[in-house]
Amino acid sequence: MEWARFAEQLVGALAIGCIYSLIALGYSMIIRATEILHFAQGEIVMLGAMFGVTLFRFTPLPYVAVFIIAMALAGVAGFLLEVGVYRVLRGRKVTLLNIMIATVGVSIVLQNVARLTWGSEPIRYPTIYAKATYSLGPLQVPTQMLWVVLAGLALMVALQLFFEKTRQGLALQAAAQDPQTAQLMGINLDRTISLTFAISGAVGGAAGVLLAPMFFATFDMGFITGIKGFVAATLGGLGSIPGAMLGGILFGILETFGAIWISTSYKDAIGMILLIVILLVFPQGLMGLIGQGEGRR
Amino acid sequence: MSRSSSRRIRDVGFTLILVVAFALLPLVYPQEYFVHLLALSAISTILAMGLQLVFGYAGQISIAHGAFFGIGAYTSALLMLRLGWPFVLAFLAAGAMAAMWSLVLVPIVRLRGPYLAVATLGFAILVHLILLNEEWLTEGPFGLMNVPSPKIGSWTFGSEARMYYLCLACAILIYFGLRRIVSSRFGRALEAIEQNEEAARSCGIDVRLYKIKCFLVAAFTAGLAGSLFAHLTHYLNPNDFTFWKSIQIILMIVVGGLGSLEGAVVGAIIMTLLPEYLRAWDDVRLLIYGLLVIVFMAFGKKGLIGLLQSAVVLARRRLRRTTSSFGLAEKTAK
Repeated sequence: MEWARFAEQLVGALAIGCIYSLIALGYSMIIRATEILHFAQGEIVMLGAMFGVTLFRFTPLPYVAVFIIAMALAGVAGFLLEVGVYRVLRGRKVTLLNIMIATVGVSIVLQNVARLTWGSEPIRYPTIYAKATYSLGPLQVPTQMLWVVLAGLALMVALQLFFEKTRQGLALQAAAQDPQTAQLMGINLDRTISLTFAISGAVGGAAGVLLAPMFFATFDMGFITGIKGFVAATLGGLGSIPGAMLGGILFGILETFGAIWISTSYKDAIGMILLIVILLVFPQGLMGLIGQGEGRR
Repeated sequence: MSRSSSRRIRDVGFTLILVVAFALLPLVYPQEYFVHLLALSAISTILAMGLQLVFGYAGQISIAHGAFFGIGAYTSALLMLRLGWPFVLAFLAAGAMAAMWSLVLVPIVRLRGPYLAVATLGFAILVHLILLNEEWLTEGPFGLMNVPSPKIGSWTFGSEARMYYLCLACAILIYFGLRRIVSSRFGRALEAIEQNEEAARSCGIDVRLYKIKCFLVAAFTAGLAGSLFAHLTHYLNPNDFTFWKSIQIILMIVVGGLGSLEGAVVGAIIMTLLPEYLRAWDDVRLLIYGLLVIVFMAFGKKGLIGLLQSAVVLARRRLRRTTSSFGLAEKTAK
């Protein structure tokens, strides 16, 4: 393969990788704060995509505004799920496993709400960009991919800053590390958990708005995308924020080049085999490999 | 008579009544579709009981059970279709093949909690991809058609009712088999592993070996269930055996109640029949199904069986209170 083609493929891989990173971030944040494996995270991604396409259709807003509003709406959806379902279950003192299975129920409910609202036909996003490709020297890079990479990276940097620099972000980290002590220090756990769900929802929604224009928006797009995001999170190290980012991008690259070099029909298998190997050799994921202390931040 | 033996007699009597009731059902409701659903419920029961061993007793979250089901279904169907094996041999081979594939999980069993869940999920996805893509063997996405009906001696299990009795008989046999396993030393070891792996190990339980055996038994029963499924529906499609199948089986045992074979049976029957009975609502059917799953989860770990038990205990206590207050009233009257 000539190098220009390779570079173009790489941009595509990075773009899809950024999307996986965003989804993985949602999983990791929730698992860190509540130990819940949130199966409905993929459905939040789907909701983001659906909100986006609806806004495009019925409002004259520009893409950036649509992106932000859809993100906010998905964040609200995440928040409502936490307050309406998971908090109630936690209040009833059911086991973690029950809550995890309940998230499967939530995922079924959201899928069907979406099917009843938006129909079961795949919805195509309108053309967003005036220029379909961007020339960078000899490279022809689709504008869409560039936008996905930029928006994804910007979101990740913003999130990292939020966690490191703001009071609220530090409170979230503290509550995730040691809930009891954090509570003694005056941190409201219910609030940090609902904030975690809101942020994970927003990030997932962003992933949806970025992902859907590459393919279609369908009511059942969430589950398999969600699973892949979760695999990416495990790859990087469950519960680690930088791990989720790294894992997502790595998974995107592996999937894209695995499909090109090895086999299209087995492209999902490559990720799975890698996942199992990583779990066996370094159960803490890549971040566990890089630095023991850094891994579970 | 001691209390435990009287309870035992009551249990056996109860089981017998249930078995007879289930055997009579197709005579009362002979519609073919209903009998077909009953047969599917019996198959689900086998699947749920097998997973209960891994999940409810040993506490290992496995999302691979649907994959073993698929391996069993394809093995049995292919052996009869391509090689002309008799049903009984194909049936046993289906179990054996699934058990063999469960050995692939040997390196994985030392993982715990969500890590084991993801690794078994990976396994389930791999098996589905193999079923989907190895067209020379499985016909790929078109599916395997014309899977023959089972034949034992001169008996052909052609009709839905006969198939149902075959599935029911297998389910009952497997129930008693697993019953023996969970009440043996092996079952107690699994429960010890579920409660505390380190403590179990320090009591001299070979945790790794027990986990492997547990997966082996569960996979074997899932393979048998797969064989029954193949010959009941006469058509196999790889998409029947995605990881979603595994999740459905998990839903069955969690709804019915973790840690008891009865819970698996109740959950399997409910979760197989429920979507059919919700058909009346057509469009919102799955929506209600999802909502019910969430509501069931609020009942706690023991599921519907636990709810039933606590209701019985409550009723009995109330009964005792009223009778004892009657006794008191009689005494004061004297």
